[in-house]
Amino acid sequence: MHRLIEFIKRIYVVVLFILLEGLALWQYAASTPYTEAKILSRTTWFGGLVSGAVSDVAHFFSLPDENRVLTARVAELEQTLDREREMRGGGALPVEQVEAMGFDYVRYRYYSANVVSMTTNRQRNYVVVDKGEADGIVNNMGVMTPDRKLVGYVVSCSENYSVVMPMLNTEFGIGGRLVDNNYACSIRWSGSSSHYVEAIDLSTYANPQVGMSVEVSSERLPEGVLIGTIESYELNAVSTAYSAKLRIAADLAALDNVLLVENVHYGEIEELLESVQSN
Amino acid sequence: MYKYVSYIWLTVAVLFVQIFLLDNISVALWLRPMIFPLVVLLLPMEWRTVWVLLSALGVGCVMDLALGGAGLYTASLLPVAVTRRSVMYVTTRRSVEAGDHAELLSKLSLTQLMLYIGAAMALHHILFFVLETLSFKAPFLLLAVIVASTIVSMLLAWPIARLFLAKVVVK
Repeated sequence: MHRLIEFIKRIYVVVLFILLEGLALWQYAASTPYTEAKILSRTTWFGGLVSGAVSDVAHFFSLPDENRVLTARVAELEQTLDREREMRGGGALPVEQVEAMGFDYVRYRYYSANVVSMTTNRQRNYVVVDKGEADGIVNNMGVMTPDRKLVGYVVSCSENYSVVMPMLNTEFGIGGRLVDNNYACSIRWSGSSSHYVEAIDLSTYANPQVGMSVEVSSERLPEGVLIGTIESYELNAVSTAYSAKLRIAADLAALDNVLLVENVHYGEIEELLESVQSN
Repeated sequence: MYKYVSYIWLTVAVLFVQIFLLDNISVALWLRPMIFPLVVLLLPMEWRTVWVLLSALGVGCVMDLALGGAGLYTASLLPVAVTRRSVMYVTTRRSVEAGDHAELLSKLSLTQLMLYIGAAMALHHILFFVLETLSFKAPFLLLAVIVASTIVSMLLAWPIARLFLAKVVVK
């Protein structure tokens, strides 16, 4: 209360001046049609300027909510797009089989989530998101940004939260391929820089070039999810494969909204691989 | 101690000259000398801004009622009242300090006084003529009116200010 009184004491002259000046101008504006029109047009312009500025500020503070809505919408549209691809014969299954499975069939299910916490300065970094088992999240779901850049995959879930292992984790591993020629590689993080990962085991026929894009090649995520671009490359010591340094496409230090992607066939593929390995 | 009666006489005299003399002399359409801001400019600098503001409101209202300004005179005088200390500091690098017992205006040199009154008069004339025209379609004419009127106003106001400060204000 004391501070409020001090504040009023400090600004009352300015307030009084604005009040008196406003009254004088209002009186002057109302005196003739010319001044009324002129001053009204100026005050309308000024009012528009002020309300525009206020609106911009209000909009800025509503951006997180808008982002959440948009990310959810992106998830929904990605799912619809995948379904359309399958129906047009561009997917993994024949059209007839997709039609037989009914309209609800999709190969990938998308879920939007917000990042709750994350680290980027450790050897084993993790990202926590606000969706868990109660929302349909399961382990090994792929995680990407709404603009289809790889983040990582889910390694643990509780009822309401999930832990994502991002690329910036020395235990992280996922398949990749060169966008230009489909040559496969493995993605690892050496732990040296939060901006780069390594693409190893790249064929000597791959002919990598600086600037080439590398995307995900994994059962966890659909096609077209970008990992990064090649900054440099070299042959390994025995000249059997290339290894390349990739600049990570996603800004992993500023994650906000992400998409979690479930391949509905992932369990089946895993089972199949395990049975082959056990034989 | 201020001679408040002298300030009242100054106000009456200046407003009288402005209303009954200067406003009736039609030298040219582009020449409108106005000396009434002098009443506000010569008020003791030590006065609190709120009192100066209220004084300006009074002078402006009288001018508006007498000359049919409909708020124009008040609207152009109030900013001068609020900013006069800043104008003083910008033009003379002098400001009111605690412990000053003599009127600050009486301590100014002639050049400083001229700069202060000239700048404040120019500010008032800019505000007045911009508000009066509410248009920048003829900017050079507007500029000419402001410059000519400010110079003539200054020439008329200067002797009044000098006389008042020399004879009335306590040093």
